Amino acid sequence: MLTKSTTATSTATLTNTALINGQPFAIQPGETILQFIRRYKGEKYVPTLCDAPNLDPFGSCRVCSVEVGRMGNGAQLKTVASCHTPVEEGMMIYTDSPSVQRLRRNIVELVLTDHPLDCLTCEVNGNCELQDVAAKVGIRKVRYPKGEVHTDREKDLSHPYMTADLSKCIMCYRCVRACDEVQGQFVLGVSGRGFDNKIIMGLDGNFLESDCVSCGACSQACPTSAIHDVYQSKADFGQGKVRTTCTYCGVGCQLEVSVKGDQIYSIRAPYNAEVNQGHTCLKGRYAFRFYNHPDRLKYPMIRKNGKLERASWDEAYDYIAERLTAIKDKYGPDAIAGISSARTTNEENYLMQKMIRAVIGTNNIDGCARVCHSPTAIGMQRTFGTGAATNSIEDLKYTDCILVIGANPTAAHPVTGAKIKQKAMKGTSMIVIDPRRTEMAKYAKHHLQLRPGTNVAVLDMMMYYIISEGLYDADFVNNRTEGFEDFKKGVLNINLDELERVSGVPREEVRAAAITYATANAAMCFHGLGVTEHYQGTYAVMLIADLAMLTGNVGKRGCGVNPLRGQNNVQGMADMGVQPYQGAGYLPVEDPEIIKKYEQFYGRPMPTKSGFTIPQMYNAALDGKLKALWLTGEDVVQSDPNTARVIKALQAMDLLVVQEIFETETTKYAHVVLPGASFLEKEGTFTNGERRIQRVQKVVEPVGESKPDGQIYVEMMNRLGYEQPPYSAKTALEEIRQIVPFFAGVKWEELGDNGKQWPVKPDGTGTEVLHTESFKLGKGRLLFEDFVETKEILDHQNDYPFILTTNRVLEHYNAGTMTRRTPNAELVREDILMINPVDAANNAISDGDLVRVESARGYVNVHARVTDEVKPGVLSSTFHFPEIMINLVTSDVHDTIADCPEYKVVCVRIRKVRN
Amino acid sequence: MSKNISALSGRKGIDDGLFEKMGQLTEPEGFLTKEAAQQLADEYLIGDASVYGAGTFYDFTRPENKGKKVYVCNGTACMCAGTQDSLRKELGRHFKAEEIGEMCCLGRCHENSAFYYDGHNYSGKDAVHKLFGNGQAATAHEDQYNFASSGAGILSAAGYSIGQCKEIVRQVLDTPAEKLLEEIKASGLRGRGGAGFPIGIKLEGCRKAKGAPKFIVCNADEGDPGSYSDRWVLEQRPYAMLLGMLIAGYAAGAERGVVYLRYEYPESIQTNNEALSSLRNAGLLGNDILGSGFSFEIKVVKARGAYICGEETALLSSLEGQRPEVRVRPPYPVEYGLFGKPTVVNNVETLANLPWILTEGGEAFAAIGRDRSTGTKLLSLDSAFNKPGVYEVDMGTPLRQVVNELGGGFRKAVKALHIGGPLGGLVPVSKIDDLTVDFESFAKNGFLLGHASIVSVPENYPMVVYLEHLFAFTAHESCGKCFPCRIGSVRGMELLQKAQREDFKIDRQLFDDLLYTLKSGSLCALGGGMPLPVYNALEYFGEELKGYFEG
Repeated sequence: MLTKSTTATSTATLTNTALINGQPFAIQPGETILQFIRRYKGEKYVPTLCDAPNLDPFGSCRVCSVEVGRMGNGAQLKTVASCHTPVEEGMMIYTDSPSVQRLRRNIVELVLTDHPLDCLTCEVNGNCELQDVAAKVGIRKVRYPKGEVHTDREKDLSHPYMTADLSKCIMCYRCVRACDEVQGQFVLGVSGRGFDNKIIMGLDGNFLESDCVSCGACSQACPTSAIHDVYQSKADFGQGKVRTTCTYCGVGCQLEVSVKGDQIYSIRAPYNAEVNQGHTCLKGRYAFRFYNHPDRLKYPMIRKNGKLERASWDEAYDYIAERLTAIKDKYGPDAIAGISSARTTNEENYLMQKMIRAVIGTNNIDGCARVCHSPTAIGMQRTFGTGAATNSIEDLKYTDCILVIGANPTAAHPVTGAKIKQKAMKGTSMIVIDPRRTEMAKYAKHHLQLRPGTNVAVLDMMMYYIISEGLYDADFVNNRTEGFEDFKKGVLNINLDELERVSGVPREEVRAAAITYATANAAMCFHGLGVTEHYQGTYAVMLIADLAMLTGNVGKRGCGVNPLRGQNNVQGMADMGVQPYQGAGYLPVEDPEIIKKYEQFYGRPMPTKSGFTIPQMYNAALDGKLKALWLTGEDVVQSDPNTARVIKALQAMDLLVVQEIFETETTKYAHVVLPGASFLEKEGTFTNGERRIQRVQKVVEPVGESKPDGQIYVEMMNRLGYEQPPYSAKTALEEIRQIVPFFAGVKWEELGDNGKQWPVKPDGTGTEVLHTESFKLGKGRLLFEDFVETKEILDHQNDYPFILTTNRVLEHYNAGTMTRRTPNAELVREDILMINPVDAANNAISDGDLVRVESARGYVNVHARVTDEVKPGVLSSTFHFPEIMINLVTSDVHDTIADCPEYKVVCVRIRKVRN
Repeated sequence: MSKNISALSGRKGIDDGLFEKMGQLTEPEGFLTKEAAQQLADEYLIGDASVYGAGTFYDFTRPENKGKKVYVCNGTACMCAGTQDSLRKELGRHFKAEEIGEMCCLGRCHENSAFYYDGHNYSGKDAVHKLFGNGQAATAHEDQYNFASSGAGILSAAGYSIGQCKEIVRQVLDTPAEKLLEEIKASGLRGRGGAGFPIGIKLEGCRKAKGAPKFIVCNADEGDPGSYSDRWVLEQRPYAMLLGMLIAGYAAGAERGVVYLRYEYPESIQTNNEALSSLRNAGLLGNDILGSGFSFEIKVVKARGAYICGEETALLSSLEGQRPEVRVRPPYPVEYGLFGKPTVVNNVETLANLPWILTEGGEAFAAIGRDRSTGTKLLSLDSAFNKPGVYEVDMGTPLRQVVNELGGGFRKAVKALHIGGPLGGLVPVSKIDDLTVDFESFAKNGFLLGHASIVSVPENYPMVVYLEHLFAFTAHESCGKCFPCRIGSVRGMELLQKAQREDFKIDRQLFDDLLYTLKSGSLCALGGGMPLPVYNALEYFGEELKGYFEG
């Protein structure tokens, strides 16, 4: 028995202090003994097997046990598990006393009685936590005679990514807890009791049969190779690690890429990532093998005699320069346009718009935000002055009401989606406004399942109840906004009967949701493309901003208006000036002062009129006014609405330059194809949906002759006679921070592991919450808009009685150029049409039947899934596969302000396709 | 423990409880089918694995239970009495082997030969014959055992009529909750389930905790083989216990009561449901009781066979439909209990004392007993006594008095008394004179009062077999969450088996390391407590056991 003397430490002055092996350290309120020890002694000071950085204390392995005593009661020592025992003032903690060592050694010995001892052939040899802990506690021999074991369990190799070899399982439950506490999926569980406990997938089946979303949290959590993945992400191949930012959505997960030479082995999510805290989704973690797919474009190509033929970079540049110059000479600079890519870096977007504006001399620059979040940018600029998320994802910690409108974050923004879901499951009130019963809707307190195209109606109704029942925040309205009286008049004049009818949502449901939102301490709104891709998209965004201001939900923690950005760098693309009416830093291009500023900075005369939006580019091309288009990283043929018309427009061009990593539906019409580098092959920054500028670092060299997009722009600019220094992220950022006001303090070397959120002050301080004191406009503008039915419905409803809306699935990313070239395609192989059982029955359609979906524009055939996820009269389909080309049916209706296409409301008719 | 499942299950609450529904869906087939698990998973928005995994945990919902029709008690008392082999043989004449299952302790320790059939328990030598003999209809089950008290007889006297219940409830409602809480604290009443924690502190903690609704959970999962004193309360003093819950609820600011009652006590379930109906009919439960503004409702939830559910956090997880695995503390149930809400969990006997404290006062209660062991204690005596049964004595009563006077001495030669369940101490008969029935005396002598059941180990019963049984019991009942208990219980059992069956002697150092690991490393009292009787056996029966050990 230990008899520790207290004399050395028995002093009354040790307030807020506890002792680790006799040495005093300050404690923090609420921390466990383990956290306390780690803070001072390092992560691995106390061995554990069941503890993981992103999981709640569980207390199963008991390896982290320590002895504790109280001062003044020195000899009375008690053994406790440090992971779940709170540290207390005056506690004396002994981390390595002989009895603790004995306990740990004996526990690990017990574990090894039921674990294969063939470490040398194990996937995680050298990187196994059990191996480390066994070494640390000093096991030399397993003394127990051979007894019952579970080391003969069969491997599960059913899944394209996830693997299981439960003979190596030590039953720490880390996988089960990760599936629950991190992803919230409950795919993994435990069956049996006691010694026969076993990890199960779903109904004791395999990974593939289960509802697994392949996030890989379990694999990352598992301390052995019991749950692993096909890339053996925990294996030690002597790889290096490169930290970078994910390319797959606006969440902006930090990734840690394992690489050796030109081979990427696997990807893990770093625990210290502020955005994703050790989590990411199957796209970020597993869908990276597109980077060296045989289909990658490896050299420039020029169309000759109708065929794309290999060319050198010089030939390609000369060809483009010659054509551009000719077109510019003949038709003027405004006959040329560029579409930049939200998948490329800030620096590259900046250079692209600079090339179009300062070198070509036109404001015809736009990007994919046009077809997704342009209404958000404009709507929020009109109301707040700033077209970006007001708050941070971190704010989910502080919110007590979550409003999700027109967004399906568990599919499209999986890590943020998982965080929202975690909150909702634990009881935070959630309101979902969506035509589909999304996964979120199932957990929501209120699901307002409106008819597609009626967001404005429902938002107006909500505000009607908030104002008429006096639930608005009068102080905020008085002090921080203007226009309330007109706004109130508008809101109180709405035709409730009509709005209730058209939206299909009973007014009492709307009222209940409005009360929940308005009475929350801090209500946080997230919206997606279900808000913006509408005839009244911008108005809906403005009304969301109104709703937030009306209830005082702006400018503090846990609230705000937070667009869920679709592509990884949509925010950054807009920030960098990729829109025809605002240059880098959102400066208006028709303002003479701004023109002067740009002219001074760029040393070239600047265009003075706003340019074309993407839809206007197509119109101009069809009208013969636009002759050349440089298009980077966007498969517009597949992803823009009314495919047939898009193709005609592209065919009308004298020069179509497509800069891509793969051949796409769009490259079929290109005169020149330039091979870009993927995000794994270059450096720069992406700005995520919460304005966080994070570093993208080069992991491998670009394949073949491909080049980083930024380098291509720079070389082309020089070729066109503009002196632009060679491309590097650092150089480009240095230029950007001189012209973009909110980037003033952004320096490549200071961005660190987790980046900074703009505005970044000159001293380098970022901003987590916007509008805390005032809006960019001074006061926020309350602007009312009434509901107006979309032209699509008015024109086509009679002949095409169903409404088709589009959606995404977790497994694929937009046009699927990348994800379809990974094993994600084994998980989801085709686009599917969701149809309500009532509609299915009325049209004799069964699950899996091929259905013809026809609109005024065209038709597609797609397989049906009968589900009550959609209401009768509403259909929904994804648009990831070129085999289906759902955009053959989508319409030409656009948002009246931002010109964003209305993907979400398409009048169609359906019939089952025979045979 | 999953906070998410707690919350999601809590959305439907106790009235539409996941665990209860799971149990009901199990009844037609005898186990939880995959289809049923999936149906529940969809309904409660949780995973297939979560529900199916929970179903595979319990004795009476797991796939192995399919097709079982009759269950033979495998509890310690029946085992020591040696009645079950012949019972099995006899049942074999009426049932196929695969139809005969096992149940751990039906609380018929007074006469053994216990089995469960078709929702009823039976015991005694002739039970099978009476039930199935001569093709006649089943006779009513018999269940005769002694009951007596010496001393204050608090529970003996608590056989309230419904009229008395009404008076008690009225008195509760007339007493300010704070005052009632003070009375309970003054009584010094400590938990009778084994841990001996003062109930007043729990009630106060719950009262102060934030969150609603709050719950009073009665732990009626009397799982210790050999104990049936709670069964006596449940069947003979149901109003005392149910009113105790109401009092606890009133004092703690809770409005819901749940009786988690073991499957193995079908008669208790029936009695309590009937008692609840009577209380409801008398207006003593429900909304706005007797116009007071206080609402309290109680529900009996039938357990499904798992010893670990006697551990309060496992019990709470069970009620939520999770696997009943022990939770880490903190947070304690008074802050984060059922469905994540403030909850007080107490044992049957503890709660049944509260009406007396209400009517007679905390001080009067504290005056009974000895030191910090106030009040009375129930003990259950097995069939090795001349007068097996349940006895109530004042705390501090000499054990000798219970054995010789109340129990009437032994009817056969006994070498040790296993007191306080499988985790209690193994008291050699030579130590009986040293002990008094209270927490302190037992602890001081290296034993444990526990729940105060007494199982007699006959003189001719090999101690090594008894120890193997203790390890086997722990291995069978371990929830499997913590490493020491999950693996250690099995390895201990294997060592003892090997030592008996093969030319193998147990390494004393290894065995000592194992016991040390279980004792100081386990998450809960199951793994942590099971070494105690083993240490006792090694100390007092070392001579008998030495042949199984090296050196």
